[in-house]
Amino acid sequence: MSAISELTSLRRTRAKTAAERQQQRKENGRDNKAGYLFLLPWLVGLVVITIGPMCASLYLSFTDYNLLQPPKWAGLANFREMLHDTRLHQSLKVTFIYVFVGVPLQLALALVIALALDKGMKGLSFYRSIFYLPSMLGGSVAIAVLWRQIFGTDGLINQALRLVGINAHTGWVSDPSYALGTIIILHIWTFGSPMVIFLAGLRQIPTMYYEAAAVDGARRWARFSKITMPLLSPIVFFNLVLQIIGAFQSFTQAFVVSGGTGGPSDSTLFYTLYLYNRGFANLQMGYASAMAWVLLVIIGAFTAINFFASKYWVFYDD
Amino acid sequence: MGMFNRRQFLVGAAAAASASSIGLAACSGGGSSDGSATLSFGWWGNDVRNRETDQAIKAYMKANPKVTIKQQPGEWDSYWDKLSTEVAGKNAPDVIQMDMAYISQYAKNGTLLDLSQYGVDTSKFAPATVDSGKIDGKLVGINAGINSLTILVNPELFEKAGVDLPDDTKWTWDDYLSLSTELQAKGPTGTTGTQCAFPTDNMLQIWLRQNGKDLYTADGLAFTADDLAQYLDIMVRFMNAHAMPTASAINEEVGKSIDQTAFGTGKQGFALYWSNQLEAVNEASGTTMKMLRPPTVAGDATKLNGYYKASMLWSGYAGSKDPEAVGKLINWWVNNTACAKICLDERGTPANTEIVTAIESKLTAAGKAAVAYLDDIKPGLGKTPAAPPAGSSQIGDIMQRHTNDILFGKDKPATAAPKIVSELQAAIKSAQ
Repeated sequence: MSAISELTSLRRTRAKTAAERQQQRKENGRDNKAGYLFLLPWLVGLVVITIGPMCASLYLSFTDYNLLQPPKWAGLANFREMLHDTRLHQSLKVTFIYVFVGVPLQLALALVIALALDKGMKGLSFYRSIFYLPSMLGGSVAIAVLWRQIFGTDGLINQALRLVGINAHTGWVSDPSYALGTIIILHIWTFGSPMVIFLAGLRQIPTMYYEAAAVDGARRWARFSKITMPLLSPIVFFNLVLQIIGAFQSFTQAFVVSGGTGGPSDSTLFYTLYLYNRGFANLQMGYASAMAWVLLVIIGAFTAINFFASKYWVFYDD
Repeated sequence: MGMFNRRQFLVGAAAAASASSIGLAACSGGGSSDGSATLSFGWWGNDVRNRETDQAIKAYMKANPKVTIKQQPGEWDSYWDKLSTEVAGKNAPDVIQMDMAYISQYAKNGTLLDLSQYGVDTSKFAPATVDSGKIDGKLVGINAGINSLTILVNPELFEKAGVDLPDDTKWTWDDYLSLSTELQAKGPTGTTGTQCAFPTDNMLQIWLRQNGKDLYTADGLAFTADDLAQYLDIMVRFMNAHAMPTASAINEEVGKSIDQTAFGTGKQGFALYWSNQLEAVNEASGTTMKMLRPPTVAGDATKLNGYYKASMLWSGYAGSKDPEAVGKLINWWVNNTACAKICLDERGTPANTEIVTAIESKLTAAGKAAVAYLDDIKPGLGKTPAAPPAGSSQIGDIMQRHTNDILFGKDKPATAAPKIVSELQAAIKSAQ
């Protein structure tokens, strides 16, 4: 309870006479005013930066809008076009592969590292910072540029391969067979933020369970599968939901690595990248808006499935 | 009720909104009878251009103390995203540096001023250099400089490999292929014969025009899928003959700055550039490159059917508060020697022939070579093509995607060409 409302309720109990009640209403009004005033920065931000543009884009998704002329009502034409747009289907394929390969691998790696760090080793905070570093850098333009160099035809990776006798002549991000895989590896590498959350979750598990299990003679695997995993499942669920949403919206790495085209040969054409290109390069903002709403529905559906499925595997210890 | 009721809130919001639009109006400047104006000036460029443009703008403001000019420099890639968004927000710069690839799109939507009505004088311009900026009879772009395509060659690398340079008045596409192959085989390790310029519309246009076709008519394509398939076959021949880098290396070249490209690092024999880029290439590579006329089908440079392209144009924003001041500024930019002596030929050789004479002595060796090149190709010039239709600016992306499929062996010219043509036609259609 905030200080202001606490004060109000204290006064309310004391209010007796009609005059006092009137005075009371006035003060309540003033308190409300103060409340709204404090709320204003957030409210303005929400309305102007989020809800307004969202409503506008919902309207635009039913129009033919090239940014230069006023939008023309087009009904469901944009959505109908999406059914036959082979590049859109390619972008969905790329995005789904990225999400369903990248996210589980990233979470698995995050969990393994978190378990290793949870042993209470010396210099834990140092290692934690080191492992967290890629998460802070991974989404940045500079790292994507660096990766483009490292994975180039004559980049560090290929030079290393040549040293051990493998004659590598193709670039990892410039060959359509490997480009998406390389971006997925870049994503997995940024396992730091789920790792930190896992680590915090592991610390929450009471040691008495492990002690009891040890007394009963439970082995390592049994302790992990019967104690750690169930008690950590809410954290796994939280990470899963956040990472899936984030992965669906992934944009920067593909934009930089492919020079904004989704190339080579559309092999890194992420959904958001294609959306951006349709909107700003092809000036089809109506279509891009429709794409954005479809993405919202896809993400919403997967989040809903996640919450529904969570009933069967997430265990809350309370 | 809260601090204010709904009506008060709406009134307040409306007031805030109108206040901000007043702010915008103030940004784009209000014209007044005493000649005072505030203009914004948007361009894309590089360090040299940014510096020179800044100097020229300051010189103009000094000569016209009542005019204030706000600078909006940018980068090519983000420039067009930004401009379209600004036009949508009715907040575009008053003076817009424009490109041939986009001018139809903007002109068609009524975004650009007809500058012939605002006192821009083009009487001193070389023939055919004014027409590039005319769309539907309106002068919506003023030629900011001319250039033409050239094949640059690295003479040092040829000497090292012991390969003779071609005679560019006679060489054919087959000569281009055999020389590239020979250089790649005989040059130091890591040498590649030529840059792969085939995925660009520039290279395609060179070849099409020699075959009596072109890229575009006023509202569509001037070539067929068969033409394109024939052209793409040449690329495949270059690839199979090992006359250019591997498919993935070609991909990595895209978007690199000149000093990082294979040609810029002295590891490549030929590369396609615009004539006004010679200076930048020489500076980035530390080598004095030589300009060659592109190869011809007929083996005769007078049959090149080339043209002088407007490297870029000056346009005025139709929503400008002060079109008179916009016209005056653009007129000064293209006709005033003081401005030309600052900007020289950085945006291409000026279209105003008197200006060229006035600045020629100040040009660098590369600048003079570019002027000489434009003079050299005169016997091979043909008709200036129509401005590309709206929507055609996507050709680069579309070509790159499908030529990649060919380079990586996932498609063939005969099947890729119809896809490129139909995608391009769809892009043009949807922009009409």
